[in-house]
Amino acid sequence: MSVDFLHPGEGTAVDTGVPALEMRGIDKRFPGVVALDNVDLTLEPGKIHALMGENGAGKSTLIKIMAGVYGKDAGTIRMRGRELDIKSPRDSLKEGIKVVFQEIALISEFTVAENIFLEGYPTGKGGSIDWRKIRADSAALFNRIGFNVDPAARTGSLPVSQQQMVEIARALAHEARVVVMDEPTSSLTPNEISLLFTVIRRLAALGIAVLYVSHKLDEVFEIADTVTVLRDGRHVSTRPIGEHTNDTLIQDMIGRRIESLFPRKRGTPGSKVALSVQGLSTAKKLKDVSFEANAGEVLGFFGLMGAGRTELAKAIVGFDPITSGTISVDGRGLLPHDTHTGVRLGIGLLTEDRKSEGLMGELPVYQNASLASLGAFARMGFIDKAGERKAVQDYVDRFRIKTPSLFQQIKNLSGGNQQKVLISRWLMRGLKVIVVDEPTRGIDVGAKSEIFALIDRLAGEGLAVVMMTSEMPELLGLADRIAVMCEGRLTAIMSRDDATQEKILNAAIG
Amino acid sequence: MSLASTDTMKAGPSMLARLFARQELALLLCLILVIAFFSFTAENFFSVRNMTNVLGQASLALTAGIGCAIVFISGEVDISIGSLLATIALPLIIIMNDTNSLLLGVGGALLFGLIIGVVNGYLTAYAGINSLIVTLGTMFIMRGGVYLYTGQRAIPDDAALDSFIALSDGRLFNVVPYSAVIAIVLLVVFAYMMQHRPFGRQIYAVGGNPEVARLAGYDVRRVKFICFVISALLATVAGIILAARVGSAQHTAGLNFEFQVVAATVLGGVSLAGGIGSLTGMALGVLILQFLSNGLRGLGLPTEWQLVITGMIIIAAVAFDEAKRRRIVGG
Repeated sequence: MSVDFLHPGEGTAVDTGVPALEMRGIDKRFPGVVALDNVDLTLEPGKIHALMGENGAGKSTLIKIMAGVYGKDAGTIRMRGRELDIKSPRDSLKEGIKVVFQEIALISEFTVAENIFLEGYPTGKGGSIDWRKIRADSAALFNRIGFNVDPAARTGSLPVSQQQMVEIARALAHEARVVVMDEPTSSLTPNEISLLFTVIRRLAALGIAVLYVSHKLDEVFEIADTVTVLRDGRHVSTRPIGEHTNDTLIQDMIGRRIESLFPRKRGTPGSKVALSVQGLSTAKKLKDVSFEANAGEVLGFFGLMGAGRTELAKAIVGFDPITSGTISVDGRGLLPHDTHTGVRLGIGLLTEDRKSEGLMGELPVYQNASLASLGAFARMGFIDKAGERKAVQDYVDRFRIKTPSLFQQIKNLSGGNQQKVLISRWLMRGLKVIVVDEPTRGIDVGAKSEIFALIDRLAGEGLAVVMMTSEMPELLGLADRIAVMCEGRLTAIMSRDDATQEKILNAAIG
Repeated sequence: MSLASTDTMKAGPSMLARLFARQELALLLCLILVIAFFSFTAENFFSVRNMTNVLGQASLALTAGIGCAIVFISGEVDISIGSLLATIALPLIIIMNDTNSLLLGVGGALLFGLIIGVVNGYLTAYAGINSLIVTLGTMFIMRGGVYLYTGQRAIPDDAALDSFIALSDGRLFNVVPYSAVIAIVLLVVFAYMMQHRPFGRQIYAVGGNPEVARLAGYDVRRVKFICFVISALLATVAGIILAARVGSAQHTAGLNFEFQVVAATVLGGVSLAGGIGSLTGMALGVLILQFLSNGLRGLGLPTEWQLVITGMIIIAAVAFDEAKRRRIVGG
């Protein structure tokens, strides 16, 4: 059955027993990474099914296959017994599969109402758009689900949380059989989240199959009927939520004890201050942030989305402007506040956004590695190519960077190897402080532990490592001290031995 | 979001302020200022005859500008239109000379335009080559082809059909040039399409954010492809009017025409980045530049100065627009 959320009561008979959507043996490979390996997922009509897993477990890939964004390499997708051939988002939408993606997928120049009906405009006589119906229906839709968004507003002018609600509403504007929500609460307030849950329960009551993708345990326990856990691209378990406890879910998601992930080799850090930040504020986010990081130490920063970690990372290396405060590296002030000075003093950033802020995708590995230290290879204004390549080769050997040659375009390397090249870039420059922002984002699990070992080694060689992360295991496994941020403020600094997940989360909530 | 925040949002700017914030209104104001200025300073400027003449002169850029703006809005560019103007005059004039039929001549010209549109659209949308490069290439190829074919001599319109000549000097009710009527009708039709037909909104969506458009189930490549075909066909119409005006197929016809059109389109607030702008804005941009050039000529200013002034206006207009947009985004 299919249900139009705007006009309930039509075709709402729930025929249980026949899966609304059945994915069998789904495989998906990307260059150097097996994203999904023989994954099964069955969604029942009228049920709320949670999909859980750590970052990189394969959740996003699976729903992108469902949505027609990626093709699958193997496996079948059936809807109520009929095999689907999904080649593009259009095919998937036609079958009534509506996906609310984590990233905002709206046209910012359009009004909210037009975005709601982007997928298919209601038309009147002769096929012209019925704008009046669009305005009325979107207002009615918001009314029905209790979201308070102005349908006439220009979408790009709305705060992110309202845009997210527009996304959610859009999935309900047309006939839907399966509604997928990918981390829908990441920028919603508690009030909005409870509204969302009401909507989700109503969808289920109308016979729609809901797939709720999240890594937040409390949400899943509150809303889900069934939970499927993925890990490293494989199906781990599918169980009714009643059979799970916090511990069993975490066990399924992580699959091993946190400590064993990170073989710590370095000794205890020294007490020489390498980086000192005092009273740092920025126009948009940071408020009076002060801390010090010692040579040989990994200082981990944790915070929920929007806490200001990336902003802090960019401010302390001189990339983003600050309004007040001081930053000093080895006692020397970062003045003027720019990255040129930062690099000269010995502080550099390993960005969270490798593709747009880190890599020169088309350039070969060796040029990517030597980018920040060309001056060191210059002989009378010309690059000493042989010396440059030799230096890069040393790093390739030391860090075991897997590349066919130094001349390979870096975009063809796996995420983990790209990250190693970028770390080499900074080490060649001779840094004292390295700021790493989400160092394992988009990196598959096998390579993760290598990056961890690398960070461990950097600290072991006397660098101060400031690590921004949203992943608890990463934080607890690697950091010597843990700093927690909430809404642009530093709310706690604790040593690793004192830290527990509860303490950290409490400080992160504020 | 709290309830309070939506309340202030709904209160929003007043109706009047919102109207003035609209690009088209600012442009209309500029146009009125230009016309008022020259009405007082230039002789014979403010007369029905001069006004309708300017409209007739503007009709080429208005017609081709529709296509140019549509391609811009889809997030691409088409600079092959000037050469296309010259090229389609060949089948047009040759067929008319052979058959004495306007219909066959126009049909041949449109068919030729269609082929160019398909080539531009295919290479850009399906083969994935940058549209600036593709249309730069077809621009050179067509211009070179015309030079080769004509041996740099004009091919005169020997058929001299009344219906064809009427395209250049005929006037509706003896007032409005037919060429302007054609341009205005096309403008209304396509402006309606852009705002009220699903396909028009798809063009805005594709130019605004192709990834989002794809997720919404649009065939991004097909939309862009069709935009190039529309652009080539409209440039063909402009080329037919031009050929009627000069009474021949000329190898230099439409030289630099693409840049005049691009200038007017950009002045009219259509963003090269895609997704932003309107055909109304484009039309106002064309009229502002046309009246400006007419008025400056009326003041006796040499053409060289008109170029300099036009250049400065375009940069100033886009810089102003950019500043305004940044203020909005910056909140």
